[in-house]
Amino acid sequence: MKRKLSLLAAPYAVWLFLLVVIPILIMAVYAFTTSDSAATLENFMDMGIYASVFVRSFRLAAIATLICLLIGYPAAYFMAGEGPGFQRVALALIMLPMWMNFLLRTYSWMAILENNGLLNQLFQKIGLFSFLSGITGEEAQAFQMLRTPGAVTLGMVYNYLPFMILPIYSVILKLDSQLLEAARDLGANSVQVFWRVILPLSLPGVLSGVTMVFVPSVSTFAISRLLGGGTQMMLGDLIEQQFLGGAYNPHLGAAISMVMMVIVVLCMALMNHFGEGEEQAVML
Amino acid sequence: MKQSRRTGSRILIALVFLFLYAPIALLIIFSFNEGDSSAVWRGFSLHWYQSMLRNRLIIESVYMTLLVSLLATLISTFAGTFAAIGLYSLPRRRRDVLLTVNNIPMMNADIVTGVSLCLFFVAFFQFWGGFARWLNGVQSAFVLPERLTLGFGTLLLAHIAFNIPYVILNVAPKLRQMDRNLMDAAQDLGCTWMQAFWKVMLPEIKPGIISGALIAFTMSIDDFVISYFTAGSSTSTLAMTIYGMTKRRVTPEINAVSTLLFLTVLILLVIVNVGEIRQERRRRNPSVRKEPFGERLRRFLSTRTGRYVQWGITAAAAICFVATVSFLTAETQSIPVVNVCSWGEYIDTDLIDRFEAETGIRVNYQTAESNETMYSLLKSGGADYDVIVPSDYMIAQLIEEGMLSELNYDNIPNFQLIDPRFRNLSYDPENKYTVPYTWSTLGVIYNPTMIDGPVTSWGALYDERNAGKVLLINNSRDAIGEALMYLGYSVNTTDENEIRAAYRILDEASKRGVFQGKVMDEVFQTMEGGNAAIASYYAGDYLSMLENNEDLRYVIPDEGANWFVDAMCVLKDAPHMREAEAWINFIASTDASLANMDYIGYASPNSEALEQYPAYYEELYGEPMDPELYDIMVTPPEVLERCEMYENTPPNVRALYNRLWIQLGI
Repeated sequence: MKRKLSLLAAPYAVWLFLLVVIPILIMAVYAFTTSDSAATLENFMDMGIYASVFVRSFRLAAIATLICLLIGYPAAYFMAGEGPGFQRVALALIMLPMWMNFLLRTYSWMAILENNGLLNQLFQKIGLFSFLSGITGEEAQAFQMLRTPGAVTLGMVYNYLPFMILPIYSVILKLDSQLLEAARDLGANSVQVFWRVILPLSLPGVLSGVTMVFVPSVSTFAISRLLGGGTQMMLGDLIEQQFLGGAYNPHLGAAISMVMMVIVVLCMALMNHFGEGEEQAVML
Repeated sequence: MKQSRRTGSRILIALVFLFLYAPIALLIIFSFNEGDSSAVWRGFSLHWYQSMLRNRLIIESVYMTLLVSLLATLISTFAGTFAAIGLYSLPRRRRDVLLTVNNIPMMNADIVTGVSLCLFFVAFFQFWGGFARWLNGVQSAFVLPERLTLGFGTLLLAHIAFNIPYVILNVAPKLRQMDRNLMDAAQDLGCTWMQAFWKVMLPEIKPGIISGALIAFTMSIDDFVISYFTAGSSTSTLAMTIYGMTKRRVTPEINAVSTLLFLTVLILLVIVNVGEIRQERRRRNPSVRKEPFGERLRRFLSTRTGRYVQWGITAAAAICFVATVSFLTAETQSIPVVNVCSWGEYIDTDLIDRFEAETGIRVNYQTAESNETMYSLLKSGGADYDVIVPSDYMIAQLIEEGMLSELNYDNIPNFQLIDPRFRNLSYDPENKYTVPYTWSTLGVIYNPTMIDGPVTSWGALYDERNAGKVLLINNSRDAIGEALMYLGYSVNTTDENEIRAAYRILDEASKRGVFQGKVMDEVFQTMEGGNAAIASYYAGDYLSMLENNEDLRYVIPDEGANWFVDAMCVLKDAPHMREAEAWINFIASTDASLANMDYIGYASPNSEALEQYPAYYEELYGEPMDPELYDIMVTPPEVLERCEMYENTPPNVRALYNRLWIQLGI
């Protein structure tokens, strides 16, 4: 019987081979060849000039992840402490934006951050600019907010914050309340309970939250394109440029993708090594 | 103390929600805006909803998104569930290997998955092409299609591929929790395996299947990146359509779409939640418990009539499925179609309707951002265009690479109307491949209210005094070309030192913060809204901007400028050659040229249209055209003499342009 059931895995193994393994192998082949299909390492040798793009991507993604964590953890923690009705509504409200396209959500920030956008209009109305020019003597009419690194980071935080809140929330919710009671009975105050019991136990949630924010952030091209206005080139933009953008060179694009993939996998492996790799905490 | 902590925590949660919902609320509010701005309120109106419903692109992409997401969810839930059962009964070591591979698409960045799938599909198509040609050669019983392109099929496959892992991830824990002996017990008691599966296993793992399906559906609906790389040019999901729209002049139609989407999801969520709350209440007071609907349904379904109903529903679903699929394939085959790729805001859209009404040929009209992006699309196998409208230098490159097909000018009688000045130009000296569409110049657009003094030189684009107010054009040929002109070099120079000198001008200006951003069609929105002061763009587009912002000025700098011709060509092996030539002939006609000149502001190469346009304008608007504007649109010969046309450059120069261009962005 057992053997018959395991036959069900065979088609999936074939599928995985065809649509996961082979595509990555083809990408590797592209990365190590030129357009005349001669083998080369040139694509990787040239990578040095893109170092600053790598640095910017990883820096902005790390900042966005950190901000998400700083906002998301307390939010998830407090949410888990509320009544079931509140929790249900809050959960629905956090999931709701995920069903709306992320490009729409990002686009709406453009109207807010433009030089003549809503935020600058608001500053104008409350007299912030005349106040500032009174102090500095310089005449300012608007803050340049769109097309800055800050705008890109904001876009990442805005889009991926739910991915941080949800796993942390579900882990905290499942914490055994008896453990907390035991800790208190043994004389721990609430700060100690948090630092020594709750936080370590919620680490798997934090780890999967970090993964789910960091990976899409580091590889985004739509957010940096919309909010960065082409001035904040990220790894995603660089790759997109080589395939569907203005500088066609799929071989270089494949090489950059490979390097990014390896670095991301290494980062994740390193992180999971510190918090024991609990993959089941992922998702809801 | 407790109370204040509670208030504090609620304030934080409230702030998080404010952050999440403020932009969405603004989107919704401005969908009812009378005007077309998303920052200035001009009164209440519903007309963006009307125009959205008339927008074929939006409606079709909503339909495509739903179809792909539903089909992908259905298939991946089914396949994922059985794959999970299979995986679970494998020996541990082999299972772990498969699970690791299964996790790759989830761990990988979307862009890596998208790119690798795209490369895989294209490689497969090449292999298939060879195979089909061979098979069609050796036998004649059936004919295999030799040319496959990215499209609905590849999009669906890609979605299934990234959905299955999520289904497995959700079903697997339920399988682990289930007592293995249950299945054996059921079978010992006389169930067949199928019966045991339906009655024992399925109810146990059902919550996992449902949440897996839900997550798969969410992922499909929200996906942009993977679709972007695997859907090709003619299939477009809502996310791709929105991305395309945000790159052009954005209309509140986008806001209307998002409002409708938001409301739909909101209603769905409310229904689901109310249902759950009711169920919970019932569980809490069992005394008032009525037999739940589910129970009654199950009992009904187990009767004989119930079973017939079940079969009926299954059959109906199957028929629906087959009907959708055959409808889709039939639609692509029976109605004559022509796939056109052009630039944003580059046609009077009424012309498309007129052509469809006159000929019965359906026009699949798409836009690309620049010559370079279009070239990438063609090269990466993602495009199944028939007609494209590249610029001069790109045409020369495409001809050189053998990517264009020769035209049969007997089918394009309107070619005779093209002014001889625009025939046999350097990019197509014998005029075998092209019919010119428009011609215009690349100059400087500026807003005199935001800077001091008139602009007379390309140098204004790099001037530190204009820091933060300049928009750089987002394609290598134009951007580097402008700097070459500024330095007094030819735009067609092959001297590496000259090109590098031009690059240094751009690089230094960029380092000093002169450029606010790099834009193509975003320039409309930004310049019209007074968000930037100087940009370089095309004369025709300046005329459309002027309609929305009267302050703007256009100048051809003293150093000279670039003049260009965009011409219609047909790609090699285009499947709809006859339709393509009909389209080209229609667009080259005097009527269409006049309508286009008026709508897009670019001069036509049609000699009749050029002659008649001032009269046409006067008749339409009741006043003569401003001669200055006419000269901007139809560049006078003495100005054209100061302008240089781009020519095709050798591959090593192109590679240098690409490399420098990327380097500039870093």
